[in-house]
Amino acid sequence: MKGTIRLIRRFLLLVVCVVPVLFFLNLGLFVAYTWRERSDNGGWQAAIKVGEELSPGSDGQYHLSAAGQQELADYDAWAILVEDGTGDVVWHSEGLPEEIPLHYSAAEISWYTRGYIADYPTTVGARGDDLVIMGHPKTAYWKLLWNTFDYGMIAGLPRMLLSFLLLNGALAFLIYMILGTGILRSVKPVVQGMEALPEEDVHVREKGFLSEVAGAVNRVNEKLRAQERALRKRENARAGWISGVSHDIRTPLTMVLGYAAKLEEDVSLPEEVRSKARVIRLQSVKMKNLVGNLNLASKLEYQMQPVRMEELNLTAVLRQAAADFANEDLEGRYPIDFRCQEGLGACRMRGDRELLQRAVYNVLSNSRQHNPEGCSLFMELAAEAGKEGKAEKTAEAGKARIRLSDDGVGVSEEQLETLRSTPHYMMDSGTGVQLRHGLGLLIVRQIVTAHGGQVRLDHGPAGGFLVEIFLDVLLPNQSTTDLPS
Amino acid sequence: MEYDYLKQKRILLVDDEGQLRELVTSILTQEGYAQVRTAGTVADALAQAETWKPELAILDVMLPDGDGFDLFSKLRGKEDIPVLFLTARGEEEDKFRGFGLGADDYVVKPFLPRELLFRIAAVLRRSYKEECPRVKLAACEIDFERAEVLRGQERLPLTAKEFELLGALYRNAGRIVTIDGLCEAVWGDNPYGYENSLMAHIRRIREKIEENPSKPVSLLTVKGLGYKLVLAGK
Repeated sequence: MKGTIRLIRRFLLLVVCVVPVLFFLNLGLFVAYTWRERSDNGGWQAAIKVGEELSPGSDGQYHLSAAGQQELADYDAWAILVEDGTGDVVWHSEGLPEEIPLHYSAAEISWYTRGYIADYPTTVGARGDDLVIMGHPKTAYWKLLWNTFDYGMIAGLPRMLLSFLLLNGALAFLIYMILGTGILRSVKPVVQGMEALPEEDVHVREKGFLSEVAGAVNRVNEKLRAQERALRKRENARAGWISGVSHDIRTPLTMVLGYAAKLEEDVSLPEEVRSKARVIRLQSVKMKNLVGNLNLASKLEYQMQPVRMEELNLTAVLRQAAADFANEDLEGRYPIDFRCQEGLGACRMRGDRELLQRAVYNVLSNSRQHNPEGCSLFMELAAEAGKEGKAEKTAEAGKARIRLSDDGVGVSEEQLETLRSTPHYMMDSGTGVQLRHGLGLLIVRQIVTAHGGQVRLDHGPAGGFLVEIFLDVLLPNQSTTDLPS
Repeated sequence: MEYDYLKQKRILLVDDEGQLRELVTSILTQEGYAQVRTAGTVADALAQAETWKPELAILDVMLPDGDGFDLFSKLRGKEDIPVLFLTARGEEEDKFRGFGLGADDYVVKPFLPRELLFRIAAVLRRSYKEECPRVKLAACEIDFERAEVLRGQERLPLTAKEFELLGALYRNAGRIVTIDGLCEAVWGDNPYGYENSLMAHIRRIREKIEENPSKPVSLLTVKGLGYKLVLAGK
């Protein structure tokens, strides 16, 4: 709908611009055209000139000089000289039409000079006290018989022009609105339909002059929806399949894991057998993690995992994940050093507790998996208040940085580059096997992204691997942190 | 053994997989649980529950004649027994999280025997805490019923907060309980800045239960994370 409003605005602007342009263009054309005609003077100068070229001869008759003759010839006109007082024609040019009277009363003169003599448009000049009347061909001029303008009208000319302009503008606007709303009414559903196409099921009525476009929109809609359904179906099938397979693997794996652990703990068995059972147990645990990760990753990827946002304390989440991890580490080969930034209170945020715990746990167990001989794990939580985000009365928005590193084998520069740049095979069916890397880090990324955070992979400060997680949090204002009684 | 009385609880295991029943039963009996019975169907489970009155039910979610959730509701309808679910993790896990079905805990398959045993012990300790036992530690015994520490002939009373802290640690005996988890157990929700206070309480508890409070062997610190209660003989 925003697009339609923009359309209307643009057209209005066009109308507002076009009206004055048209108006002034026409005015200019009119002035230019009449300017060209200005030299002619409508034959009035010619009549004056003829009057000047007339002179009385020795015979008492008037004679027109050659220049005067030429002037008459130029205008294809005739001329008469009316004597003052008598009103008689005392001279006339050659070729005077027969219908031209040879005597004029003062009243006739006033009329004829203003208008026509026998339909010949006239112009007048003077020869002494006598009157020169020049008669032009009938189609040469169109005379104004009442050539007077109201003074008020001339004085009000600018205002008149302005009102013309405004009236024109208003009329153009009115016409546009009538036409425009008609067009809009037809265009609107089509535009709305097109705008809604990416998100929802659309059906546009195929009526009006845009019925073909509407039909096309409907067909596109059907295609899109069909593709969406097919994609969703495929994704569901994929996630469902993964979920089904992992479900089916779990029960037999429980038995393998359970009996392997029992054999390992059975002191009546030879040490060699027990150590073999230990290998089975460890590998089964790997499979157990893989199955769990695979299922979760596919559900996160296809948005089938509900993310339950709740108010939580990030510090507590980190501690719990570390405690869960440490509880599994019975031999104490993976000591965790957890440090909070000095003076850091609770880091509150909205998030899914279990998923965040899972993300942190995955990073820790990633270190364990790549360092079977054991390594030290370092977990650091730091946060600083930032300008972004919404602040509350008792807390301000900030960014938390979780640094999870180890002093284990680490990764090479190339491996790091691969981890950073290549997608996991599950997300990219077109790539080869060599791109595969653990699902664990993929899940970390998925979970953190679902919380609006970022993940950074790097070499650890102690030589191992480093995963940094950035999340938006709310930090308590120093003044509001109360200590227990 | 400190929780011998818990080992006498009647445990009903319901799973359709015969071999899994066998495995879990052997894990439980080896650990010392004396009364374990199994059922393969909802009908069988209900019949046993009627006559045998189990004190803990371990339920699989997928059963041939119904699902574990229905069975759970029926069992709970009669008596408020603790229930631990065994799940092959799928949509059911979301049910536990989302709808707070009221189950005491759930264990995702596949599980390590140790994991299952810990969860069962924790559920039993929590559910039957009124049958407060005497818990043996390296240097003393804790009498939860009277909230006292017994050291030889000496009886040292526990304060309410110390009692709650020890209770939370005992229910998770052998495992790290995080600082946040302990604060929450004692001060309830939103345990901001209670860590120093917690340390003070822990120090006082150690003075009561440890032979040498500066070198604790029962109440261990896991630096940065939390504390762990180690029972005698563990």
